[in-house]
Order: sequence, then structure tokens, then C-alpha cells
Amino acid sequence: MAGELASPAAPPRITRGSSRRVAALRLLRRRLIQAVPLMLGVVVINFVLIQLAPGSFLELMTAENQVSDPATIALLRTTYGLDDPVWLQLVKYIWALMRFDFGFSYRQNIPVIDAISVHLPATLLLMISSITLALAVGVAAGVVASMKVRTFWDTLVSVAAMFFFAAPSFWLGIMLIVLFSVKLGWLPVGGMATIGGTSSGAGGVLDILHHLILPTLALGLFYAAIYARVMRSSMLEVAQLDFVRTARAKGLSRNQVTISHVLRNALLPVVTILGVQMGTVLAGSVVIESVFSWPGVGSLLFDSVSSRNYPVVLGIMVLGSLVVIAANIAVDLIYMWLDPRIEIR
Amino acid sequence: MGNDSNRVTRRVFGAGVVATSLAGVAPSFAQGTPKRGGTLVATWGGGEPQACYVPAGGGSSPTFSSSKLFERLGSRTMEGKFQGELAESWKPAADFKSYTLKIRKGVKFHDGKDMTVDDVVYSVSEIWKKYAAASALTDFAGITAPDVDTVVMTFNTPIPEFFFSSLLCGNVNYIVPKHVYAGSDPVTNPANNAPIGTGPWKFKEWVRGSHFEYVKNDAYWRKDLPYMDRLIIRYVRDPAGRAAAMEAGDIHIGVFNPVAPPDIKRLTGTGKFVATPKGYEESVWSTTLECNMRNPVFAKREVRQAMFHAIDRNFLAKTIYYGYARPGTSPIYSPNKEFYTTDTFSTAFDPKKSAALLDAAGYPKKADGKRFAVNLLAAGWFTENGKIGAYVKQALEDVGVAVNLSVPDRPTSIKRIYTDYDFDMAISNQANPSEPVPSTTQYFTTDGIKKGVPFRNASGYSNPEVDALVEKIKVETDPAKRKALVFQFEKIITIEAPLLPMLELESITVASTKVQNHSNDPNYLAATWYDIWLAS
Repeated sequence: MAGELASPAAPPRITRGSSRRVAALRLLRRRLIQAVPLMLGVVVINFVLIQLAPGSFLELMTAENQVSDPATIALLRTTYGLDDPVWLQLVKYIWALMRFDFGFSYRQNIPVIDAISVHLPATLLLMISSITLALAVGVAAGVVASMKVRTFWDTLVSVAAMFFFAAPSFWLGIMLIVLFSVKLGWLPVGGMATIGGTSSGAGGVLDILHHLILPTLALGLFYAAIYARVMRSSMLEVAQLDFVRTARAKGLSRNQVTISHVLRNALLPVVTILGVQMGTVLAGSVVIESVFSWPGVGSLLFDSVSSRNYPVVLGIMVLGSLVVIAANIAVDLIYMWLDPRIEIR
Repeated sequence: MGNDSNRVTRRVFGAGVVATSLAGVAPSFAQGTPKRGGTLVATWGGGEPQACYVPAGGGSSPTFSSSKLFERLGSRTMEGKFQGELAESWKPAADFKSYTLKIRKGVKFHDGKDMTVDDVVYSVSEIWKKYAAASALTDFAGITAPDVDTVVMTFNTPIPEFFFSSLLCGNVNYIVPKHVYAGSDPVTNPANNAPIGTGPWKFKEWVRGSHFEYVKNDAYWRKDLPYMDRLIIRYVRDPAGRAAAMEAGDIHIGVFNPVAPPDIKRLTGTGKFVATPKGYEESVWSTTLECNMRNPVFAKREVRQAMFHAIDRNFLAKTIYYGYARPGTSPIYSPNKEFYTTDTFSTAFDPKKSAALLDAAGYPKKADGKRFAVNLLAAGWFTENGKIGAYVKQALEDVGVAVNLSVPDRPTSIKRIYTDYDFDMAISNQANPSEPVPSTTQYFTTDGIKKGVPFRNASGYSNPEVDALVEKIKVETDPAKRKALVFQFEKIITIEAPLLPMLELESITVASTKVQNHSNDPNYLAATWYDIWLAS
């Protein structure tokens, strides 16, 4: 979705003021319409994949509860709608989804939306903080490296980027814990908040931020490494373009040229990658949540897959897809804002 | 701690089995004057439970979380003696068809209501009989309360006293509040996620994905206990994360193999932690190898014995379990002081004997060097099972048996082993208590063949002699005669070899040296931790 540019053959359509707002709304409408079949595809594919997996939550549930009576099992199958053909189960699920009913988690004995909503804020917080860190560090490092090409700083950025790109996030997470929690005692080992500590007000926020630092570093530095490399090459490429030469000829300072002209245009590839990587950031959080005992959707997804808790797995997939779609729409809008010449189709 | 304390066996993902009792080792980790107050943070080697309390058990995880909130009628000491908890005493009738229990007075539920005989009657008839102890209560006839502190449990057959006492100590054979559960479906009752029990700890909060928070029960019937104000049970999925949290002082105690073996050595090496195998005597885990009799090849006893002779179990114990396992010699495990015997048939490692047995059974090596092929399934709930599977594959191929190994995840393993019987040989696990009926015997009796129910007779082994013997064990009330019958059962099973008790596993608790009065209950899962405390 992000970065689908207008045909190079067609001249860029320049939009200004209210017409840009209209273009943005048009894009938003188009993306929302496209999201419907996309979501349908996500639901159908995930539903079918889950059906193909051996074992079911009912089998595991009856196993754990030592239920062997065939009549009881048959009653449970009927109760949970497992007697229906698969296509009918799918239709019923989609119909329920259209009414924002994500189903019921019989394993946890709560509605699916309740099960997920307990965990989703933690995952979103981790995702947002990691992406923010990745963008801030990655863009800054890329800019520095491009401005100091073939110097110590350029080498430092390259080596650091290579290291964080190559280091597995779970290993990095454990190393960060060992250094900052176990050896130095500066930061908590895991969890989202101090158990029994202040949970509201500024104290609560600070406590969460304190717990957020290490997981954010472990997840965000990988993406920062990517952004730094992309940003460096993009900056160098844009710096060679005619409009930059023109800006310099006009007498603008180096910093003015870099920040106002080069940086803004060089950000486009980074924004493109950002949109594409939203899904992988969500997936990466599953691993990081495990290392840091972060109570997010990742741990819930892991448990749900392990217990064949299909309603919850599907619910997470659907909500995860919504998050990724929303992020991509946001990226498209940012894209338009960064480069008014571009109208994304 | 000696060297033995520095080793660990495996990581645990709860496979639920009712465990009752095993005689234990003398308690330790108690010294000085108990310090009151403070918060104990604990963890365990498995994941977060699906509910805080599951009436049928639901695996080890909910048993661990609920055992601090609920209590049983009885328990066992580290010396193996039965003692009263919510029951003060119990005694059998002359014909052993009924037992009279005196129920403790002055016990209150966490909501302030008195625990009465009505709660006991309800719990036994509606929870135990239908969920928690259904397989053990097949001959249960009823329960009555003749007065305010007495209940009488009656049975259709004579019930041995050891069996009955073990029943009272069953892992999740709790006394639950009738006023909370009556008229509801106990499985889906919302109170399962915020239980109201009589235990030393009261439920305060469950932060899903993170921890349970329990607070001291000020009205606990044991005077002036518990010592501590608060108990936190934290769930940390990653063993390395658990080790780091313990080292950083965030977690005081971890039970059931909380960290990897190298971390145990590192933690105990600091002098700030101890590691102990105590506290698991009533729930000894084992790794088993069972043969599927539905495959005509395994219908021959010689073939089954040959398979077992091909496996070097000492090698498995040393390499895969870091020495914290030992070869099993009987379906009753060696820590079981009541019923374990060494007078059994040995299927020790002997590849030549294995080959000879296969030749004699009519399966000589063919031109390609193979005798026949088997599908070996290693249940994926323990990572070690997959490693054992890889070894067993090589060992069997050495004697000419082609092996197709698969290591499916937990739900698939349960389905393939216990529902579809889709295996020729399966590496699985058990956690058996000292009372052999039905926990151990149901792996071998015909009535243990229950399609879809895990940790029962999946091999399809059916032997009228064994069935009759188990029926006798069930009703023999003379302890000496009963013990002799169990010994006979062990001998027959080891000769018949439908299932090889491949390894007895040893579990480990790692605790800060500040934690006192831990590992003093032979059943770590059911321990209420009423007397645990944290030194300065």
C-alpha cells in the first residue's frame, strides 16, 4: 500500500491547500474500501489455516478436564458450533465479525475481545515506542553518516548498524537485561510495571516508561539499523539531485539545505519501509514480549496457538491486520505530506 | 547443597495428572525466628494458566496457582505420614465401605462465610466426583453429613485406607464454597478466575500475562499464619529471563525447573541461592516409551522387549537430563516407599539380546538391513522428548528397525497419542503419585483405554490377568496383602512391556537463601506455603 507511486510516465500532479486535503480524503476512502476485501482475505486464510492444524481446543479442553464421555463431548461440539461444516463456521464467524463480535474464549472463559483488549495496549505501546526509537536513532544516524562520509562517524554508524541488524533481538534483549538489570541494577528485568507500585498518575507513567526502555531498545535497534543504512544512501542520492545544487547556488547554508531539502526528500524510502515493516514489528514483539515478560498480545498469541484457542488466534490476527492497515494508511498520508508532488493511487 | 542440588532436569509445560503422595526426605531450609511481613515473589518452570482454578485440574499450572488459595481435607508430611488439613481426622468402618471424617471447625472462606459440612458434601459430590477425582471415585456411593462437624463417605466396595487417605490429599481435591458454585457450571464459573477458598492466601488480582497477586488471609485457621503479607506468582516465559530476574532479586523462588542447568550452577555459585530436588516426592515425573498394540508387530511381547533392550537409558539420563534422571525399573517409581519393588523383569541395555529377540519373533534383517519400520512420536510438550526421540531412532536403527520420527506440539501429540492412536511407539511423560490406583494402573488396564482422554492406556494393552489383579488391589484392605498384589502387578507389567518406564526424572527448586520453610511439602504443586517466610 505504502509507496505505490503514480506512473513515472505521468507528470507529477501538484496539489495545494484544500485540494491536498481532498486528495488525502480520496486516498483515505480508497484505502478503507480496499481494506474490506483485504480483511476478508485475512479472515478466510487464517480460518482455513487454523482448520488445517491438527488438534482442536475442544480436544485439548476435554483432555485437560479428563472428559471421556462421548455424549458430553458431542454436547460440547454442538455448544461450540463445531458440528457445523467448516464453511458454515466461517460464514458465522464473518457475520459475527461484522457485528464486532469476535467470539468467546472458552479456554479463558471470557469474550475474545476482553482477552485481547487486556493485552493489546501493551503491545501497541511497545510497537509505537520501538518505531519511534528506530526512526529517531536511524534517521539521525543516517544523516550524520551521510554528512560525514568516509569519516570515523560514518564507519561508526555502519558498524553499529551492522551489529544491531545481525544481532538476534532475543539475544540482544537478554544481553541488555544482563548489563542494565543484573549487573548495573538500573532497569527492571521484565514486566510492564512494578508489582504493587504506583499504577496511576505521573508515578505510574514513569514506572511504565522505566519498564519500557529495555524492550524498546531490544526491538527498536534492529529497525534503527535498517533505517540508518537506508537513510544514509538516500541522503547521498538526494544530495546529488539538481534542486539541491540549485538550493546551494541560492546561497543557503549547508545545514539549511540538508534539513529543508535533502532530509525531507530522503525520508521517502524510510517511510516506505516503515509501512511495510509494521507487520514484522508486531511479529517481533512476540519474541521480545517473551524475553521481557511484557504482558502483550504476543504472549497471548503464543498461549492461544499452543492451546488451539482458535477464537483468540483469529481475533488477534484480525486486530493485528487492522493495526497494520491503519498504519499503512497513515504512512500513505505522511508520504503525501512529505512530497506534495506525489499522489498515491 | 551438594553437587546433586546443582542439576536440573527439564522445562515443564503442565500435563495434568493427579498426584497424591510419596514419602519424602527430611525438611530443611528453616532456621531462626520467622520474620513477619513482606512480599514473596515466586515463579515456576511453566506458563500462565488458562484459569486460576480449574475444577478438573487442567494441568500443573492452574494447580500451582490455585493451591495457595484452596485447601484439601488432608496432606502428607515429608516423612510420608498423612495429616489432616480441613479434616481433623478420618477413620474407616469395619467393612471399609465407608469413612467418617471429622471436619475442622472455625474455618472461614475468604469472603467471611464459615466453611461447613455442606461445603464438604457439595465439593465431594459435585466437584470431586464429576471433575477433580472422577477416575478415582468410580465406586463412590455417596456422602452425608450426620452432624455439623462430621461427614461420612460411602462406597460400593471396600476401600483401602491408603487409597482413601491419598484421595483426601489429591492435588485439586479442594473444598470449594457451595454458596459460590452451587447452581452454576463449575467449569465456567467466573469465580475460577478470582477464587474464594480457605487457604492462607486470598486472591487480590490477576494481571494477565504478568502475575497473580495474593494477600495474607488474616482469618486463616492456623493461628498467626501466614508470616508474609503478600505472595506474587510471576509468569516469565523465558528460562533465561527467569534466571536474570532471580539474579536481580526480582524473584525469590522458582519451582519445577525454573532455569536452565548452567544457570542453576551459576546462581548457586554466587552463594545467594540454593537448589534442591526436595518437594517433588509426591509427584515423580517420568519419561515413558509405549508401544501401540494395534500394530500387529507390537502384539508380540518379544518385539516390545527387544525395543526396550535396544535403548541405553543411562546414556539418556547423563546426556539429556544432565544426570538428574535415572533409568526406571518399574511402573511404580523408586521414591515410592509403599509400593516400589526391585523384583521386576529387567529390560536393560543389550543390543545383542534385542536383535536375538527380534530374530526369534520372526523379524530377521532383510537384504536392506531393516527388519520393519515404525512411526515414533515424541510428545513435544517437553523439549527433551525430541532429543530422546532422536537417540531412540538411532538406537533402534542400530538393531535394524527403521524409524520415522515426529515431534509434534502438545495439542497434536495429545490428539495423535490419545485420540487417534496414530503412533507405533510414543515417548510421553507421566507424573504418578504413590497410590497406584488409578493413576498408574490405568495405563495398563482395559478400562483405561478411553479414546480422547490423555494419560491413560494409549497402547491398547489388554490383559484379563492384569485387570483382575488391579480389581483386587482396589479392594484389598490389608496393607501387606495389598502391597504383595502391587508387587505382582509390577512384575507382570515389566515382563509384558507394553510401556517402558524409561526414565525417572528429578525436578528442582531454586530459591534465594533468604527464603525459609520452602521445599518442606512433598507435593510442590499442592503446597499452600502457609509457613514460608523471607529472612532479612
